[in-house]
Amino acid sequence: MEIATSKAGRVSLTVFFWLLVLFLYLPIMVLAVFSFNDGDPSFPLSGFTTHWYGDVLSNPVLVTSLGRSMVVATISSLIAVTLGVLTSFALLRRRFFGKPVVSALVFSPLVIPYLVFGISLLLLFTLLDKVLTQSFGFYFGLGLHSVVIGHVVVALPYTILTVMPLLERLSVSLDEAAKDLGASPRETFRRVTLPLLMPALISAFLVAFTLSFDEFAIASFLAGTQQTWPVYLFAQLRVPSLLPQLIAVSSVVFIASMLLVLSAEIGRRLAERRYGREYTARGLT
Amino acid sequence: MATQEAAASAKHWRRRERGVTAALLSAPMLWLLLFFVAPVVYVASYSVGAIKLFPTDTGVISLDGWRHFFGGGSIYLGLFWKSVRMSLTVSVIVVLLAYPIGYFLALCVRKLKYVLLLVVIVPFLTSFLLRVLAWKVMLGDKGVVNSLLVSLHLRPANEPIEWLLYSQFTVMLVLAYVWIPFVALPIFVSLDNLDRSLLEAASDLGASRVRTFLRVTLPLSLPGLIAAFVFVFVPTIGEFVTPLLVGGTNGYMYGNAIQDLFTRGLDWQSGSVLAMFLLIVVAGLMALFGRYVQVRSVAAD
Repeated sequence: MEIATSKAGRVSLTVFFWLLVLFLYLPIMVLAVFSFNDGDPSFPLSGFTTHWYGDVLSNPVLVTSLGRSMVVATISSLIAVTLGVLTSFALLRRRFFGKPVVSALVFSPLVIPYLVFGISLLLLFTLLDKVLTQSFGFYFGLGLHSVVIGHVVVALPYTILTVMPLLERLSVSLDEAAKDLGASPRETFRRVTLPLLMPALISAFLVAFTLSFDEFAIASFLAGTQQTWPVYLFAQLRVPSLLPQLIAVSSVVFIASMLLVLSAEIGRRLAERRYGREYTARGLT
Repeated sequence: MATQEAAASAKHWRRRERGVTAALLSAPMLWLLLFFVAPVVYVASYSVGAIKLFPTDTGVISLDGWRHFFGGGSIYLGLFWKSVRMSLTVSVIVVLLAYPIGYFLALCVRKLKYVLLLVVIVPFLTSFLLRVLAWKVMLGDKGVVNSLLVSLHLRPANEPIEWLLYSQFTVMLVLAYVWIPFVALPIFVSLDNLDRSLLEAASDLGASRVRTFLRVTLPLSLPGLIAAFVFVFVPTIGEFVTPLLVGGTNGYMYGNAIQDLFTRGLDWQSGSVLAMFLLIVVAGLMALFGRYVQVRSVAAD
């Protein structure tokens, strides 16, 4: 006998599940359909067209904002992954005083409201400018660099959470074996630990990248005049004539980010499964 | 002699070990202290007037901002409670909808459960703005729902259902839509980790399915349930983007007040008070329920 559900219960749960999936995907699919619609986004459909996609390319402000988001996402994810790896090593392989505090600190960006964090940084940078400009004539200002700084903070816990599970499975004895065979710590890291950790690094990068690329609240306070893609999208939503174009780009971005996320997830799972067998302490003994 | 040497080398070793830890942690800690802790501390001190940023600031420490916030006739406290009500409603609905999903995936599906879980979660990992935008397109006066009803002759033209967009209802609908995928995760994890033999034991001892669920499954998944609740409540209480896009004046939330004080009202001190209050509430929630929230479970599955 199935204990979890009766037969009827199972059927209704299955139906409920697929209805909910429909609810989750329908609005997005409708949006994708309208990106090919020759007219306003409303019924009845007025005919098939791809010219919204073409219009996007001839809208330099939009393309620039996409480019800015790419730059911000790339730089901030690289920094976040680097810092995340350092922190993961410290949390998993080192013993030190105050570990719970460090751990609480690195994970607290997960729960801080981005709105509050965004204005906090805005206030800080405003103060910095007031002090620095008066005394050194150095102007920090708002812009992409400020957005990068904020995105690194919020992406950091996600990178740690992605790296830690794999690092935990990598047996320390591999490092010891490398050391016994005469490798220096640097060589051990570069030739043993890093290659083994690579799948986790890539998925951490992709997670941080999608987070940053899509982030609106923090960027809206810190971007200044250099609007990133979400900031631009948000500002232009009030212009009805631009809506179909925005929908077209959004659909492309949606599909691209979905592919990114899926490949990150699949890569990580494959790596974990393989390492689960070969490289953990259990596998070696 | 030998012991002295050993002690010296142990000391040397310990110092080197400490150096390695410091080398690992210095960059991340520096980044977080400079760009996470410092700004928050700074907002806190600005909210009590301890810092002079603009010519209009007094630079005198006083709790006036806070007194004004808590005092009678403050619109912000009322707005806060309205947001709490909306968030609570959304959280309860989301958890109620997500629980069956987690239950189904964890206990009824065998081979495909991780694939199906991914199907549910993927929308969450893609553009937040886009998902809100989708509802704006769906629910507008000339939007998908209204125009569909008109073209199916179910509603006369020029008489759209107006409450579909720009209302509290819409804000809550969209927030629920946005958070369901994310919340299914902790519920799934807690149910998936459940020891199946307990269910079998309950059944062997003659418990009905309902009784097994109420006495075994539900209590054991309670931590996941609480985590799920916190996962929705915390971010939605500080929400301001969704109300801006689909809320209109009725859907105005506490987060919008904070944003307005910083961008339009330019009353940064009141804004800091509001922001700090929100942060304190969130921190309090985490202190109360944080032990149920296994951050590790979010990333691992």
